[in-house]
Amino acid sequence: MTPPEAPLGEQSHERRDEIVVSVGFWVAALAAIGLGIVYWRGGQPQLEGLLLAVGAAGLAAGMVTWAHRLLPKGPEVEGRQVFTDEAGSGDESTLESDLSRGGAISRRRLILRSLGASAAAFGAALLFPLRSLGPRPSDAELNDSPWTPGKRLVSTDGMPVLAYEVPVNGLVTVFPDGALDSETGQAVLVRVDPSLVRPLPGRESWSPQGFIAYSKLCTHAGCPVGLYEASTNQLLCPCHQSTFDVLRGAKPIFGPAAAPLPQLPLAIDADGVIRATGNFSEPPGPSFWNRRQ
Amino acid sequence: MPPLLVAIAALLGVTVFRPPTSVAQLAPPTPPTPDAARATFQRDCAVCHGADATGTSRGPSLQGVGRAAVDYELTTGRMPLLPNFRTARSPENQPPLGQVLPAPSAASRQRPPAYPPALIAALEDYIASIAPGGPDIPQVDLAQADLATGGELYRLQCAACHEWAGVGGALYQREAPGLHGVTPTQVAEAMIVGPGQMPKFGPPAVPADQVSNVAGYVEYLGHPDNRGGNPLWYIGPVAEGAVTILVGLGAVVLVSRWIGDRS
Repeated sequence: MTPPEAPLGEQSHERRDEIVVSVGFWVAALAAIGLGIVYWRGGQPQLEGLLLAVGAAGLAAGMVTWAHRLLPKGPEVEGRQVFTDEAGSGDESTLESDLSRGGAISRRRLILRSLGASAAAFGAALLFPLRSLGPRPSDAELNDSPWTPGKRLVSTDGMPVLAYEVPVNGLVTVFPDGALDSETGQAVLVRVDPSLVRPLPGRESWSPQGFIAYSKLCTHAGCPVGLYEASTNQLLCPCHQSTFDVLRGAKPIFGPAAAPLPQLPLAIDADGVIRATGNFSEPPGPSFWNRRQ
Repeated sequence: MPPLLVAIAALLGVTVFRPPTSVAQLAPPTPPTPDAARATFQRDCAVCHGADATGTSRGPSLQGVGRAAVDYELTTGRMPLLPNFRTARSPENQPPLGQVLPAPSAASRQRPPAYPPALIAALEDYIASIAPGGPDIPQVDLAQADLATGGELYRLQCAACHEWAGVGGALYQREAPGLHGVTPTQVAEAMIVGPGQMPKFGPPAVPADQVSNVAGYVEYLGHPDNRGGNPLWYIGPVAEGAVTILVGLGAVVLVSRWIGDRS
């Protein structure tokens, strides 16, 4: 008995499906290689996201096509064995042919090769982020905000903030002079009743006439701490409700933030212009593992 | 009809069909005199702020708060407050003017003003005469307002508390009222005065020539030019995220079922 051949049309369909599957896997492999290259050259989030999405979609398309079109479909019915001397050989060859034709293992070298390539490429690309885990940044690198001694505080329109213009319980978002788009330099300037201030040791001169400035970046997740409650002298973060006591060095008193907001030392010059006398007391931005409390 | 019945009917008619109101009540209200403003101040305000507006243990001094603060508190109905014990009704059986705070630390809420506009103006004059100084009511010109600039300032200075769409209440149990339905003048006054928990936004934060822009943007938020779709009460990413999860995850589940379907 000759093993029954699959009809010609079905074979060409299978051939086409094999090509679709391996093209999907090769696309995934190329995308993964591209992802690794982009990451290695410094990274570009949108492009990386696009390549990751293309890679995952290629893998998914290949696997779904493979599962739907090429794997044998059930239900399988095992033919009743016929108890004759010559019987069985035909059944065995049918099974063999079915395994080799529809079997997922032996004949699909094209598919297996492309799957292996994409797995290797993805594995290599996912190793690259290990490089980003070091080296540990220095304090100087983290604390690179544009505040320097003598730098004027300017409001969003670039004008210097004059002390007499800010009323008690006034709130101004300030930037370092000449760095209006600075992310790390943005700060909130609050004017409180000077008799209420309880400065931290060593910061007694940092809040002249009740002017206090803190980094606007929450120490929890870096949201802008822009909410000020005048009667309780509390700064609040809109994202997770972290609450800081303005009068006591922005000590966190509620919410997930564990570290106080970095304070900016201030001085008022003879013309009434508010100036910084140095950089923030700590690096601004979300907390990290070795931040000093 | 016997004359006696006619007489009785006439008597009943006179008794029953009396004119409902007196002539004096129908006359238009006369503008409140300074004396009326002074009497109102002594009756409703002096109990906490003091007869000379220098404050008492129950309420702050009004010296130097300015006409803007008085106008804001009275036109938004946040003042006058009622001491808890004073619940007597007026001779016309009207409930007392003003609101009772549920707790001493509670913030007063916006409500219809307790006094007619003319009396509010007279009260402002009177308070300005015994408590001089402070900012005047700002002039707001909505016709010239630049909404784009005002919107930038709003998102920078106001949105953190009053929410990006002006519905208020960005934080749990913190006072930040919604801004829909307030007048542009009240918005401008609040920025200058800093009522309640609100900080004051002086010229460095909101320059004087930007006040009208911000007030105009707040006015715009009351009836924004929506691009369609359900605003989901303007409460922002939480509601939108919930809908995204329901719709998006639902789609993912359906696609997964299709992938796993072997027939």
